[in-house]
Amino acid sequence: MPAENTGAPINGAPIDTAAPAAQDAAKNVPAPASSSATPTTSEKLTAAQLKAKAKAEKAARRAQVKEARIAVPAPSPVQEKGAAGDAKGGKGKGRQDGQQSLGKGGHLQVHRGSVAGRQPSSPVPEKDVRSGIPDCFSHVPMAKRIPTSQAHKDVHPAVLAVGQQMATFALNDSISRLRATLLAFAKVIESYETPKGNSLSRHFVPHVLNPQIEYLTESRPMCFAMGNAIRLLKGKVNKFDIDTAEDEAKEGLLEWIDFLINERITLAEYAIARNAAESINEGDTILTYGHHRLVEKTFIEAKRDGKSFDVTVIDDPFERSGQELAKTLRQAGIPVLYSPNLGGLRPKVAAASNVFLGGEAIFANGSLHASSGTADVAMSAMNAGVKVIVLCETINFDRDRVSVDSLTYNEVDPERNTGDCFRLLFDNTHDKYITGVITEFESGGGNSPAQAILALLRKQEDPLID
Amino acid sequence: MAPSQAAHVPTLDNLIKSFNNQTLEASIESLIFLLKRRQVKGDECAKATAHILRQVVAKSKWNDVDQLLSRVQSAGSRLARAAPIEPVIGNVVRRVLGLIRDEATEDRNADDLASEAASDIQSLTPSTNPNAHPPQRPAHVPVRPSPSVISTGLQVSKSMFNLLSVANPGDSPITGASTPMSQAQPASVHALRSEVMDGIEEILDEINQADDQIAGFSDIQIHPGDYVLAYQPSRTVERFLIKAASKRRFTVIIASHAFSDGASEPPYAMLRKKLNAAGVNTINLASNGLMAYIPRVNKVIFSAKAVYQNGGLLVDSGSCIAAQAAHEYLKPVIVLCPVYKFCPEDPSDEVSRGELGNPSSYVSYANGPAVDALEVENTVTDYIPPELIDVYLTNLGPQTRHHLASILADHYKTEDIGFSLQLGEP
Repeated sequence: MPAENTGAPINGAPIDTAAPAAQDAAKNVPAPASSSATPTTSEKLTAAQLKAKAKAEKAARRAQVKEARIAVPAPSPVQEKGAAGDAKGGKGKGRQDGQQSLGKGGHLQVHRGSVAGRQPSSPVPEKDVRSGIPDCFSHVPMAKRIPTSQAHKDVHPAVLAVGQQMATFALNDSISRLRATLLAFAKVIESYETPKGNSLSRHFVPHVLNPQIEYLTESRPMCFAMGNAIRLLKGKVNKFDIDTAEDEAKEGLLEWIDFLINERITLAEYAIARNAAESINEGDTILTYGHHRLVEKTFIEAKRDGKSFDVTVIDDPFERSGQELAKTLRQAGIPVLYSPNLGGLRPKVAAASNVFLGGEAIFANGSLHASSGTADVAMSAMNAGVKVIVLCETINFDRDRVSVDSLTYNEVDPERNTGDCFRLLFDNTHDKYITGVITEFESGGGNSPAQAILALLRKQEDPLID
Repeated sequence: MAPSQAAHVPTLDNLIKSFNNQTLEASIESLIFLLKRRQVKGDECAKATAHILRQVVAKSKWNDVDQLLSRVQSAGSRLARAAPIEPVIGNVVRRVLGLIRDEATEDRNADDLASEAASDIQSLTPSTNPNAHPPQRPAHVPVRPSPSVISTGLQVSKSMFNLLSVANPGDSPITGASTPMSQAQPASVHALRSEVMDGIEEILDEINQADDQIAGFSDIQIHPGDYVLAYQPSRTVERFLIKAASKRRFTVIIASHAFSDGASEPPYAMLRKKLNAAGVNTINLASNGLMAYIPRVNKVIFSAKAVYQNGGLLVDSGSCIAAQAAHEYLKPVIVLCPVYKFCPEDPSDEVSRGELGNPSSYVSYANGPAVDALEVENTVTDYIPPELIDVYLTNLGPQTRHHLASILADHYKTEDIGFSLQLGEP
């Protein structure tokens, strides 16, 4: 009882202070250009608002818990609008400078915070879902299905669909997610019309693109390839002169997206498969883990070259994606030994001549981000003196982030997120367990360490932005 | 299908009870049957073997120590051959053989004292005059090497000769022939039988108490706030953790090979319930790869199926990954292994390759194309090389691999170490 008594006044006070703040923000919305033009007011706003916002959130959350969704429809649209406006107004600045330097890890946190501010209804279910995560993994983000009705009103339908697919893991690996995102963004660009008095290069990113990105991130933490592509896309948009005709700019962007998909995804895939297939020798036994698109392509390519070799597929019993790979390879006429788990890995690895692994991303320190279990296979292989070759497109290389353990950048499996059953989706393979990385830049061998490629990439990427 | 199958499998207690009502041969056969179907495994093998050997001692016909030894050996090797992947069986057989030899020597030593006194007086070779000996004497004469039969005066140094000669079965007919007193045997046989059976009872006690004794060391190994990775916790590990939970607050991360998502309750529910009740957090990992979690973990604990004389381990598959990952991150690997799991042999090639198990839980027969296409290997045991293990926690206390030899020397007789070599003979 006493708790409730003290609770009531606290609840009461912030709502009063929050209301004017929200109104302020609402006033700001109609003239969004002013937020960048008058940085002083926006700064003041954020300072004053941050407190009020936090309190308003708390109050809203409590109110909502009490009402248990009965009265939601009436208050929420108002609140959402107001809060959304303030999130935008407040963010305009913080976001842009955050973006350049921070990259994804940074935004993740930013996004989560802003999301909570924008949609007071979302924290409640989110809390419930995440409450089962053991304490020591509570910092790790997790994909989450957002009902399309709860998504931000500015989210483009194409992006909505992609977000749903990502949240349900229908789009799973980094490259298919990247491709879908880029295609959806192309749709967004096509349907974009610059409001009067604005230019595309100033308006598009903060007011159109960012809500899409936020929504995607919320559905599932962005993969590093997406982070890279978005960074490039933003750079591209910012390069446009303020006077560039809208059609011309849109045309340019669409062309650039096509170019990116062609160059960094389609051609890269082909080049990597070719390069890797060349490094397979007649009579080799290649061991691989799980199912990675590039590894599969490589084997098929090598078989097409007329090489005869054996493949050992080690699978993750909790995913069983390797079975598909095993079947595909079998159909292609490659002898396959399928091991459904990591049991007996030591003798199997020792019998292999090479280990091919696919990766989700490679960090600036050369460590590999790949599906969980990859690190164990790589470590076993290295200890047995077997070469470990990683196949990875350069768009997956993250030059800004360093990861030394698997708990820095990871995701919790939304299906298995309680103490009863817990799973991280990825793990981090230290670069000492990797002999070489094959990318679209390399020609065969696969003996260059990841760092060499990062340096190369730094050089290559500059002209690409232009 | 699984439950109905389980219904046909007798529990170990029932099985052991049934030994009393069956003939010896039937008991052995029924155990062999279960061993071959892997329906008795691990610690149960040890217990079942000890019980069977007790039946052998109690029920089979034998007139002297040699016969008893060969009875035990033949029964033991039949069991061991039925389950070559369970070295524990061989260990128990060796222990029982050693026990019989010990009892025999003890009796003989008692005799020797008497006979030496006698020979002093008589100053003639006493063994040529068997009637002068105490009645229990003849039962042990066969064990003795022929030289000592001739001159009892040299018996003080007999143990060395014994080692060599007893292992040689060719001796027994000779010494047997020299056994002169058949009428005195029943009493001595009876005494030896009860002594050996008491000894086997002690071995059984040791097997039963080992888990608790190991658990007694838990608070030394587990510290408050630890994150302990338990890989497929066996009963030994469960007891260890529960004991530790009564004194410490820590977190247990349970990793296992695989568990079906469709199962009604999460695996190790009982263990987790008990640990949670004691205030210890548990996390069930649904992951085969452990490298991701090891940085969080302070120590890795699992139990061994067997420890070889080089310190290598036979374990459930997947434990090797846990050990390797922990080793990479320099986290201690603690293996719980009661002394009866120490084998005085080196691991064979089959052991290091691992035993293959039933793959149907991974690729089901319903999945025709996959069954057709795939060559599936579900390895169920792993071999872990000794360098990955930091502590061998036995019921006698923690050991390192450098001192395993002394444990082996304490528990097995040199002449029985070759027991497994006889397995090849039918």
